[in-house]
Amino acid sequence: MTFKKIGMVVLAAVLAAGVFGCKKKDEAKEGAPAASGNTIKIGFLGALTGDVAMFGGPSLQGMKMAAEEINAAGGVLGKKIEIAEADNRGDKQEGASITQKFISRDKVVAIIGDPTTGITKVAAPIAQKAGVVLLSGGSTGPGVVENGDFIYRDTLLDSVAIPACIGYFANTLKFRNVAVITSDNNDYSVGLSQTFRDAAKSVPEIKIVADEKVKDGDKDFSAQITNIKGKNPDVIFFSGYYTEGALIMKEARKQGMKAVMFGGDGLFSPKFIELGGPAVEGSMVALGFSPEQGSPETTKFVADFKKKYNEVPGVFAAQAYDSMLLLADAMKRANSTDPKVFKNELAKTKNFKGASGTITIRANREPIKSPLSLLMVKDGKFVLKSTVAVKME
Amino acid sequence: MFWQQLLNGVALGSTYALIALGYTMVYGIITLINFAHGEIFMAGAFTGLCLVSYFKTNIFVAILAAMVVCMILGVVMEFIAYRPLRRSSRLSALISAIGVSIFLSSLALMIFGADAKGFPDTSFPVRLIRVGSAEISTLQLLIIGISALLMLALQFIVQKTKIGKAMRATSEDYNTAALMGINVNRIISFTFAIGSALAAAGGVLVGVLFNAVSFNMGLMAGLKAFAAAVLGGIGSIPGAMLGGLLLGISEVFGVAIGYSSYRDAIAFAILVLVLLIRPTGLLGKKIVKKV
Repeated sequence: MTFKKIGMVVLAAVLAAGVFGCKKKDEAKEGAPAASGNTIKIGFLGALTGDVAMFGGPSLQGMKMAAEEINAAGGVLGKKIEIAEADNRGDKQEGASITQKFISRDKVVAIIGDPTTGITKVAAPIAQKAGVVLLSGGSTGPGVVENGDFIYRDTLLDSVAIPACIGYFANTLKFRNVAVITSDNNDYSVGLSQTFRDAAKSVPEIKIVADEKVKDGDKDFSAQITNIKGKNPDVIFFSGYYTEGALIMKEARKQGMKAVMFGGDGLFSPKFIELGGPAVEGSMVALGFSPEQGSPETTKFVADFKKKYNEVPGVFAAQAYDSMLLLADAMKRANSTDPKVFKNELAKTKNFKGASGTITIRANREPIKSPLSLLMVKDGKFVLKSTVAVKME
Repeated sequence: MFWQQLLNGVALGSTYALIALGYTMVYGIITLINFAHGEIFMAGAFTGLCLVSYFKTNIFVAILAAMVVCMILGVVMEFIAYRPLRRSSRLSALISAIGVSIFLSSLALMIFGADAKGFPDTSFPVRLIRVGSAEISTLQLLIIGISALLMLALQFIVQKTKIGKAMRATSEDYNTAALMGINVNRIISFTFAIGSALAAAGGVLVGVLFNAVSFNMGLMAGLKAFAAAVLGGIGSIPGAMLGGLLLGISEVFGVAIGYSSYRDAIAFAILVLVLLIRPTGLLGKKIVKKV
C-alpha cells in the first residue's frame, strides 16, 4: 500500500526531527545565558489568549513600548533590546516549557512575567536554576521571590495592599461584616485570601462572617451565594479573577443580595464589567496603579500609551513597562548584561520613579511601592475612588 | 436555606438531565457513547447567545431556534461521522465521536475566542418570588419549567407516537427492527435530532442561568451529563432524568456544606459508587448477553 509507505516515511521523519530537536536543546543548555552580539534578548512570559489574556496582552504592550523608548534613546550599553514572545495561554505546563525555550533557544538574559502568581511560581525555579533574571510585573501573592536571588517583581504586594485597604474600609467606608470567597485552584487567590484573613485579625471592627470556596472555571455559584446570603455581609471579598468575580456578582444579584465585591488586581479587567454589567456597579479593586494617580511619570506614560495603542493603560501595562525600565536601569548601573552581575544591582533598586509608582526592592528582595489605588466601578467604568499612601521602609 | 439549596440543585440538575437524555437515547439505539454531545450543548448555547445579542430575539425564540439549529447539526454529525462507521467496530465510532468533539470546540474557539461571554441582562427579567423560607427566581422557574416540559414531550413522543414505537423497537433489537420494515437509518437520525435539540435547549438555559458561554463549556457539562446518564442507567430515559437531578442536587449540597473543592469529584464519586453497587445504574435493565 502506497499510503502505508508514505505514512512510514512521514513517521520516520517526525521521529528523526524529534531526536534532532532534543539534541539541539541539550547543547543549548551547556552555553551560559549572556547577551551576545548587539542585542539583549528579554522574554515575555504571559497569556495572549485564554482566560487570563487580559493580564498578558497589556503586559506585552507595556514591554514593547518601554523597549522602543529605550532603543530609540540608544539602547542599553550600546545594545538594542529585543523581545522574545510566546503565548502560554494561562497554562502552567505551557508556562514552564516556554520558560525553558526562552532560556535554551532564545538565550534571554531576563524574562518579564508571568503576570499571574501561579505561573510565576512555576517559572521561577527554572529561571533560578539557569541563572536568568525573572522579573514579574504582575504577581502579588506569596511564594515567588523565595525561589532565589534571580527572582524579582515590581508589584504592590497583597501583604502591603490589603492591610492598608482594610483600615480604609473599617474607618472610612464603615464596613463591618465580610464574606470571603477563595478560588482554591488558584495560587494567587489562596494567598490573597490568607493575607486578608491575617490582616482582618488586627482590625477589630471587621468580622469575617462567611468563608466560601469556588474554583477557577466554575460557572454555578448558587450554593455558595445561598450560604453567604444568610450571613448578610456588607461586602464580598473575592480573591480570584475577573470572570468568576463577575459571575459571582451576577448570582448574588439574582438571589437579591445587595453587597458589593472587593478584590485584588485579579478583578481588574474591562471583562469584569462587560460580563458583570450592573451587578458589579460599586465593586472595588485595590491596585498598584491608576492612570489618574497624578505623578509626572504616570501622566507621561498614560499619554504616550494612549498615543501608541489608543487606549488607557492598566496596571499590567504599567508594571511591565516599569519592569523593562528596571532591568535597563540595573544593567546600566552594573555596566553588564550578564544576569549574574546585573541582578545584584536590581536588588539595590531604591525609590525608582516608575510609571506605576515609586518602587524600592527591600533586603528580602520583595518590592514595596506607593501609592495604592482603590478603584470603583461607576457607570460601567473603573474610576479612582481613593489613593492610599503606603509607608516606604 | 435547605429549600433554597434544593431549588438550586434542581435547577442545575434539570440542565444535566436535558444533556443526559441525548447520551442515553443514542446509546440505547446504537450503543455509542456520543462524546460530541457536550459540544452540541455548547453549540446550542452559542446559537442562543448570538440570536439574543445580535438579533435581539426573545429568549423563547432563541431556545426554539437553537433547538432547530442543533437538530440539523446533530443529524449532519451522525451522517458524516458515525453512519459510515456503522458496520465497523464500536471503538472506531467512539474515536470518531471524540474527533467531532475536538473539532467542534476548536471551531468555536476560532469563531468566538477564548473568553466567556454572557447573555445580556435584558434577555430574561429576573425577579424573586418568596415561597415560605425560600426565594425562587423567575429564572430558576423558567429552567425547571422548560426542562420539565421538554422531558414530558419526549416521554410522549417515545411512548405514544408511531416513531417512538419504532425507536423503542430499534433500541430493543436493531436487526429485528430492520427486518420488520422499520427504516432504521431514519430512526437513528431522528434520535440524534431529538437528543441534540434537548442539549441545545439545555445550552441556552445554562447560558442564561450562569451567564457564561465559552468554547470549552461542553466538556465538563458533557462528562457530568454522561455520569448522570450512567447513574440513572444508560439507555433508560427516566433514568437519565433521575440521574441528572440527583447529580445536580448532590453537587449543590456538597458545595453548601463546604466541600466546594470536591464539586466535580462528588459527581464522579457517586458514579463510581453506583457502578460498584448497581452496575446497571438506578433504573437500568439487566443486560442479557445475546449469543
